[in-house]
Amino acid sequence: MKALHNYLHVLWQVVRKDIQVEWRGRQGLPVMLVFALMIVFLFNFALQLSPELQAGLTSGLLWVSLAFASTLGLNRSISLERESSALDGLLMAPVARSAIFFGKALGNFGFTTLVGLLLLPLFSLFYGQNLLKPSLVLVMLLGLGAYTSLGTLLSSLSIQSRTRDILLPVLLYPLALPILIAAVEASRGVLSGQALGDQRSWLYLLLAGLLLFNAAGLLFFETILEE
Amino acid sequence: MPTKTVQHPLQIHIQGLMKRYHRQPVLNQLSFTIASGNFCLLVGDNGAGKTTLLRILAGLVRPSQGEITCCGSLPGVDTEIRRLIGYVGHKPMLYQDLTALENLCHYAELYQIHNTKVKVSQAIQSFGLTAHQDQPVRTLSRGMQQRLSLARATLHNPVILLLDEPYTGLDQQAARLLDETLQNWHSQDRIILLAAHRPQRLLSIASHVAWLKEGYISTHVPVAELSTTPSLRRYLQEVA
Repeated sequence: MKALHNYLHVLWQVVRKDIQVEWRGRQGLPVMLVFALMIVFLFNFALQLSPELQAGLTSGLLWVSLAFASTLGLNRSISLERESSALDGLLMAPVARSAIFFGKALGNFGFTTLVGLLLLPLFSLFYGQNLLKPSLVLVMLLGLGAYTSLGTLLSSLSIQSRTRDILLPVLLYPLALPILIAAVEASRGVLSGQALGDQRSWLYLLLAGLLLFNAAGLLFFETILEE
Repeated sequence: MPTKTVQHPLQIHIQGLMKRYHRQPVLNQLSFTIASGNFCLLVGDNGAGKTTLLRILAGLVRPSQGEITCCGSLPGVDTEIRRLIGYVGHKPMLYQDLTALENLCHYAELYQIHNTKVKVSQAIQSFGLTAHQDQPVRTLSRGMQQRLSLARATLHNPVILLLDEPYTGLDQQAARLLDETLQNWHSQDRIILLAAHRPQRLLSIASHVAWLKEGYISTHVPVAELSTTPSLRRYLQEVA
C-alpha cells in the first residue's frame, strides 16, 4: 500500500513539475496551439472546399492538426528532461521508473487534450459543423490517450539519439497509423450523426492501443532509458 | 547525521565490473571495495572511465558484466537503495525554467522528505543561495548552478555521496565552501566517492585514493600511505 502511495506520489510530482515548467516558460502549449491553428487556417483558405467536401474532411483535418501539434509537445516535453540532464534526477528517485513514464504520458495527454478542446470551437466556426459533442470529446480522449502514450515511449527512445528531433516523427507516425485511422473513422461517424455505439469497433481499437502502449511503457521504459 | 537505517553494512562492493560502449571496453574487470567512513578520491586521465563508474553506482548506467552492490543491494534494481545515494554529475540535473527553490522542492517531493520547506530552506542557506532562491536556474551562473546541484544531491541526507568533478565552474569562495561541506559531511557512517582530474586540494581531507587506469583500479591506498606508491604519487604531481 505504501509502495503504491509512493508510486502515485512520484507520478503526480512529474505531472505537477511539467505543469509548473510550462507555466513558467510558456513554450509548449502556445506553440502547439498556434501550429494547430495554422493547419486549420491553411486548409480552410488554401483548399477552398465546398461545404459537402468540408463535412467529409473535418475529422481527418482535426486529427492531422492534433497529431502534428502533439508531436511538437512531445519533443518539447522530452527536451526539458534532456536539458541539464534533469532526467537523471528523476531516474534517481526511489520509485519504480514506470511512474516517471506514466507521469510524463499524463502530462503530454493533458496538454494535447487542452489544445484539442480549444480547437473544437474553431473547427466548428471554420468548417461549418458542430464539433462540440460529448461523443467526439470521448473519441478524442481515447485517441489522444493512445497517441500520447506511444509518443512518450518513443520520445524516450529517441532521447539518446543525435537525430532525436527527426527520429520521433519518423518512428511515431507509422506506428500510430492504426490509432489515427480509428480516431478519424470514429470521429467521422460521430460527426455524420451516427450513434457512438455504431463506432464500437473503432473505439475498441483505440482502447486496445491505449492499453497496449501503456503496458509497453510499464515494461520497457526503464530498459530504454538505461545506457 | 544520516537518518536512514541501513540493514547491511554500509559499503560499496564492486566485483569484475565491465562496461562496453559500442564494443569498446570502458571499464575492464574492475574490482574494489569502499568501506563505511571512506572519503575516496577517484583519479585518472580523461576517458579513464571515472564518470561511467559513478553513473553505474548511481544506477543510471547498466553494467555490461560484473557485480556491484551498495549496502548489499543493486543500485540499478533496488529502488529503495537510491534513497541512500546522492549524485552530482557533469550537468546540474535541474529544470532551467524553475527557480532554485522550486527545483529543490520538486526533488524533496520525489524523495518524500518530511518538513520539505524547512529542509529546503536549510539547504538553500547552507549553500549560500538565499539571495538567488527565487531566480530561474537559467539566470544563475555556472558556479551557482553547481552549488544548487550540490544542495539537490544532499537534500535527502544520503549516506553515499558520488561527486563527478564537483569543483568545475566554482570560484574560490564556492570551492572553499565545498571543501568545508565535504569535511563536515565526511563521517564514519558515510561514504564519499569523488572523481577529480586534479585532486591535489582534496588530499588533505580525503581518506583514500583510487587510481583508475585502462578501465580498472590499478592502485587503491589510504592517503597516509601514498608514499608507498611512487607511481601514483608521481601521477598526482604531474596532474597538479
